[in-house]
Parts: sequence; structure tokens; C-alpha cells
Amino acid sequence: MALFQLSADSNETADNAALREENRRLRKVCQALMERVESGGSPNSAPYAAFERSVLLAEQVRERTDALHRTLDELSQVNARLLSANAEAEAANLSKTKFLAAVSHDLLQPLNAARLFASALETHALPEASQALVGHIGRSLKDVEGLLGTLVDISRLDAGVLHADKAPFAVSTLLDALAEEYQQVAAVRGLNLRYVPSSAQVESDLALLARVVRNFLSNAVRYTEQGHLLLGCRRRPQGLEIIVGDTGPGIPEPQRKAIFLEFRRASQPHNNHSRGLGLGLAIVDRISTMLDHPITLTSTLGRGSLFSILVPYAPSITGSGGDKKASAVARSAWEYDDPLQGCVVWVIDDDPAIIEGMQALLGSWGCRVRAAATVSALEAVSDGERPAVLLVDYHLGEHRENGIDLATRLRRRYPGLATVVITANHEAAVKRATREAGMHCLLKPLKPLRLRMLLGTLLDSP
Amino acid sequence: MQPWKSGAVMASLKHNGLLTAASKQPEPVKAARELAQALCHEHLGFVLFFCSAEYPLPALADALNEAFGGVPMSGCTTAGEITPQGYDRGSIVAIGFDRRVFAIETALIDDLEHFDLACAQPLVDALLERCRQQNLAPINEHSFALTLLDGLSSREEQVLATLDAALGRIPSFGGSAGDDNHLARTHVYANGRFYTRAAVVVMLNTRLPFEVFSSHHLVPLAHKLVVTDVDREQRRVLELNGLPASDVYAALVGCRVDQLTPNIFAQHPLAVHLGGQHYIRSIQRVNSDGSLSFYCAVETGIVLTAMRPTPLLNDLNAMLLSVRERLGSAAAIIGCDCFLRRMALESLQQIDQASALLRQARVVGFNTYGEQHHGMHVNQTFTGVAFGTLPAVSR
Repeated sequence: MALFQLSADSNETADNAALREENRRLRKVCQALMERVESGGSPNSAPYAAFERSVLLAEQVRERTDALHRTLDELSQVNARLLSANAEAEAANLSKTKFLAAVSHDLLQPLNAARLFASALETHALPEASQALVGHIGRSLKDVEGLLGTLVDISRLDAGVLHADKAPFAVSTLLDALAEEYQQVAAVRGLNLRYVPSSAQVESDLALLARVVRNFLSNAVRYTEQGHLLLGCRRRPQGLEIIVGDTGPGIPEPQRKAIFLEFRRASQPHNNHSRGLGLGLAIVDRISTMLDHPITLTSTLGRGSLFSILVPYAPSITGSGGDKKASAVARSAWEYDDPLQGCVVWVIDDDPAIIEGMQALLGSWGCRVRAAATVSALEAVSDGERPAVLLVDYHLGEHRENGIDLATRLRRRYPGLATVVITANHEAAVKRATREAGMHCLLKPLKPLRLRMLLGTLLDSP
Repeated sequence: MQPWKSGAVMASLKHNGLLTAASKQPEPVKAARELAQALCHEHLGFVLFFCSAEYPLPALADALNEAFGGVPMSGCTTAGEITPQGYDRGSIVAIGFDRRVFAIETALIDDLEHFDLACAQPLVDALLERCRQQNLAPINEHSFALTLLDGLSSREEQVLATLDAALGRIPSFGGSAGDDNHLARTHVYANGRFYTRAAVVVMLNTRLPFEVFSSHHLVPLAHKLVVTDVDREQRRVLELNGLPASDVYAALVGCRVDQLTPNIFAQHPLAVHLGGQHYIRSIQRVNSDGSLSFYCAVETGIVLTAMRPTPLLNDLNAMLLSVRERLGSAAAIIGCDCFLRRMALESLQQIDQASALLRQARVVGFNTYGEQHHGMHVNQTFTGVAFGTLPAVSR
């Protein structure tokens, strides 16, 4: 064996000493090898052991690690597929939302025109039978408008385009009007709405909060067969709790969460007058999240339900006088001689159907209407007359300036020209921009009564 | 910062995001400026350099920091450099990495004694995370680690084994810093200065294809020696086959103990046989007590196999060819070449021929006091990484 070749020569003249030396070395070698073999299995932090482990790792563990990595790779591929499926679902949901928003918006335009036509038709002298039919058409259109409005709201909430525009206001400005409206609605259904007014000042988005309370009230009316409804407030340390109560059938515990989801309702309402998509509380839920106003629901089966929303107080309690003055002016508008008679109203809209509808409507109120798609076309037909009011569509087509910019330009020529911007764009930003430009804003679908009131106010105030 | 030069940018992508340069200026400021001039461009993201230990290192550190104006750098001292022209000494060679092609992050391990898995795992995770944030290429299959270790620290095995465990499937390679065979002080460079008893881990994540490889030119003989006594801490073998180690080794080689030199060690290496492979355990020097110092860990009871070199040039050529076969013409190769191989080439007067091969294959690197490959500390090998070229579509 090669190991001991070095000592081979000395073996021939072997004396005892040499044999002993040989024996010593063999023992030493054996001892070293045994030591090595025996330390082999034990976890050893010695440097050579670390090297040896690395080598063995290359042989065995790396193989196993590879198998593990392959499994992990497969898992991550499955994961990736799941993620992409999820992303697709989300994209589909988003595109659905966008589609819904776009469709709703496009439907609002012709509906707006139809409502204007129907209103104009009502002012014509018609046979009684026709009058009734026109009334039906008007109400049907109003229903469609209501449903569409709901769809627009939910799609805008989902698309995240709706932003809260919070400001301090007296809660009575909201609740007084709602109470009056729903006292009539309740009376029709043989119910009594008790309203407890509050003088509290709150901070919220008036329109969105109105939507929530309105939905509470609509539900209360819809689901209550007999008894009474309650609209009132409770002063809580954290804010003002606006409460709508009813003596309806109550909502069973398992359903209390579900009714806040889309297209879900509690047990069917007792009649089929009220049309709805079951979106009311889904909208309430979204608005509540957006405004950060918590909703509570308490209900006892057979006794009734209590919906409430908690609204923070306004930071300081000042200046409610302005609002009162404004509403006083609005009310007084009706009492004078109709200021609309003979006044010059300019209408700018890129939709010929709207122009026609506005001409019919405003004409029926006695206004002298000049309507066109552009300023130059308008000025061509207006014989240098000074307009009293400008009604301008916000969205004037893809490549044109918007209504606010156009109105600002026109007001340089006609300083102080009262301006109403009409928009189907429900974003708070547009409302704010109009307000900041010193103009008024009306949302589509345009409500003829609201327009008339606003025109009255504008024409009455010098 | 260096002024932006459009020529340099064009050149960098032409070179697949890798620029190499060398300077023989002995004056640190001049050397640093020469390198900066050749390497700096708008997209320079990292510089790796290998310098002769003859440089005044603190002054060189200052000069490099100054010349490269904040570009991250790592490097180490050598036992000889491989410049774009081939083997050299007393010089400094550097590689500039384009950040459009490479995401590179570095970490310094300054406490080699206490470097355990609890330190290694967060270190590796942080490096990978920082690479990942640069969003250049997926981490898996597109990353490797380069390790530069103080070659006289005697801690290479543990540090490497620990690091390798933390790296998992990410390939690694590297070299132990040298000091022109003085065996006095070897240095690694990170965070703007030189360190001893430290290691640098460079994580490279790249869009370039690459391959980490290791090769040696030695074949086993029949002779076996059993290590019967060691000084583990000092990496010294005191006895072989129960006799003073230097006597046994000299008898094996066929010379007197006082004739044992690094040249002899290079030509008559010893190896351990593990898992079907031979791993060279290189002898560093003969000590006065008749023991042999090694460049790597030794242990009582290990069996050393006598090895015989085959023609080194042939091996080098074959290795470069096989890399080329698998990866195509390499954009660059970073090589950690054991200084004993270089010594063998020098004694055979084949250094110029070897330089020509290295030059053609675009190898830059340095002569080491030991190489690292997949967590193993090995000796007398050529270990490195070869970079392929960018796929034409992704330019």
C-alpha cells in the first residue's frame, strides 16, 4: 500500500526499534482516523468540518433544496395564476363600474330632454284625458330618473370619482326640508311622520348626508304598514346622531348585515308601488364609509327599526343667518310679480335636443330664450340684447372649453351676468369650481321646479 | 460627479453594461483618476476593483472615493492582477457596472468570528430586497453573490458555509484577498475604506446571462497521507503518517525540507477526496517546527491525496472554450485565479501565452490566496463568473 512506501527500505534491516517506531506510527494513524470517523456524525463547528459540510451539501442537501425550490416554484406559479385571475376579476368589476357610469351618464342626457318636454307639455291647454296621460309620462320619467340616479350614485361611489365636499351647516336646513317632503309622502300612505327639529351645527357633505337620510326615510315609508315614523336627532359626545325610526316589521338579526349589500332587501314590501333596486342601503353604507360617519341599526322584530348616522359637530357655531336669508329670498320669489316674464335667458348647450327642450320650457315660463351651441351662434341671433341669465352646459364636447371657462369669458363682456352651470358631472370638484367662480350649479337631470326657483332668485336680486 | 460623456454611455451598452480598465500608476491619485476617466459615465452604478497590496491603501481609498464621487465600490488586495491585457503586478484593475444592466448591493462582514446564520440570513435578505427594489430582473436565476475575504483570516470555511446556507439557491463565488506573497496583511475594501479580518459580500442581480464556474488542472496520484496531528486554529499540519509533516511531504516530493518553496507546493499539491471530487488543500509555507501551514482548514484524520498537475495552458484553454460553448462569446469574465497557478505558469515561462488566452476571453480579476465556490473554500483553482451578452431585443 502506497501509504507506507516511505518506510519500506528500513524494513529489510528491521531491528526492534524500527518495528516499534513503525508500530507507533500505525497506532497514530489509526487513532487519527478513528478520531476523524467518530467526529464525522457530530455537529462540529471546526473549520474543516464546515468545509466538509459544504461539500456534502453540494452532494445531498442541495438536491433536496432543489426539490423544495421546485415545489415552491410550482406554488408560486399557482399563486401567480390566482393573482392574475383575481386581477382579471377586479378589472372586469372596474370596467363594469366604468361602463355603468358611462351608460348612466349617457342615459341622463335624453332623459333630461324628455323631462323638459313633458314639463313644457303640461303647461299647454290639453284635453283632460291627455292631461292625465302627460301626468303619467311625467311620473314615469321621474321614476326612471330616480332609478337611474341610484345607479349613477352607486357606480360613482364604486368608481371612486365621488368626493365628499364637507362644510359646516345647520342640520335644520337639511332636516326641515326632508321632514316636510316625507310628511306628505307618509300622509299619502296613511302614516304619521313625527319630526323633532334640532338647532345643532354639523360638518358634512350636505348632498351626501341628505342622500343617506332620504334613503332611511324612503325605507321607513316603504316597509311600515301602519303606525308612525320618527325623524330626529340625539346629541352624543362624538357628534349628532340623526335618527329615523319606524314601527315596521323589524329586521331579523341574520339579515342586518346583508341588507347593506347591493340588490338585497329585507322581506318584500307590502305593496308594489315603490320601485327600487335594493341599492338604497348599499349606497348608505358606501357614503357612510366615505364620510366616515358611522351607521347604527337597532331593530326589534314586530316592533320596528331605528337607523341612525353619527355626524360630527361643526367646529364653531357661527353664522347660520346667511342660510336663513337665502331661503327667505327664495320663498319670497314666488310672491312678487313673476320676474321671469320677458327676461332674456341665454342657453348654451351642444345637444340640440336639450336646446329645443329648454326653449320649450323657458318659453312656457315667459322667458325670451336665445339658445345655441356656441357663443358666436348665440350672439348672431340675439341682436345685441343683454342677457339677464346664462344657462350653460358644463361639458361642451371633447375639444371645447368647459362651461365655467366659457361663462367666465362671457362675463368679461357682460359683467355680473348671472350664470347657472348645468352638469351631469356629480363630482364635488365641479360644484366647488362653480361656486368659486361665483356661479350657480344645477345637476342633471335638471328639475324644472328647481331651475325655476333659481331663476326667480337670480332675476329678483339686483 | 464625472461629467456626462455620451461616448462613454454608448460604449457601456456596446459592452453590455460592463467596462473594464487598469492602471499601472503607482501614485494613488493618478491611478484613481485614470480608472475614473475610463469607467465613469452617467449610468455607472458600481465599481469592483482589485489592487496590488503595494499601494499605500489609505491614500488609495481616499483617491478612489474622490475620483468616483460616491459611486459604490468594493474590492480587495491581490497576489497579482489580471488586467484587460493579461497578468500584471503592482497595478489596479477595475470593472464598471452599468445600473441599467446590473442591480448591485454590498454588505461588509467585519466580525468574522461571530458570523452565524442569525447574522447571515438578515444580511442576505436585505441585499436581495435592495436588489429587488431596483426592479431590474427577477432575483431567481438572475442573481449571484461575489465574496471577497481577508485571505489570512483563517475563518473562510465557517463564514462561507454560513453564507451559503443563507444564500440558498443563489450561486456564489469569490476569492481570498492576497498581498503579493508577503503573507502579512490582506485587505478587502467596502464603504470607502480598506478592512482586515473582514469580508465583503457583493450581490449582483443582472439582465445579462451568466455562469459561475470553477476549474483546476490537477489529477490524483496513488499516494495517500494521513494527517495525524494539527493546529486547527493556525491551519497547521504538524504530523503526517505520525511523522513531522514537512519531512513526510519533502520525502513525497523527493527533495530536502529546506528546498520546499511555493513553486514546489504548486507543482506537488495535496487534495482531499470527498463525494467523488478532489479538493486541493494548498500548502502555504514550511514552519521552523517542521509543520506545514495551509491556505485552508485542516483536521486530524483527514486523508490527503498527492496530486499531479496536467498542462495548465491546456486546462485554461479548455475551460475558456467550454464556457464559450455554453454562454457564447463572453462580454466579460471575472476570475479568481489561485496565485499558485500563476506561479506555476511563471516557472514554466508560459505567463505570456496565458495572458493572451485571458485577454482574448476578456478575463479580468486577480490572483488569490484561495477561491470560493458555492460555499466551499478551495485552492489552486480558477473560479469565476462569465457574463454573456444582452439579448438583442431588450436593448
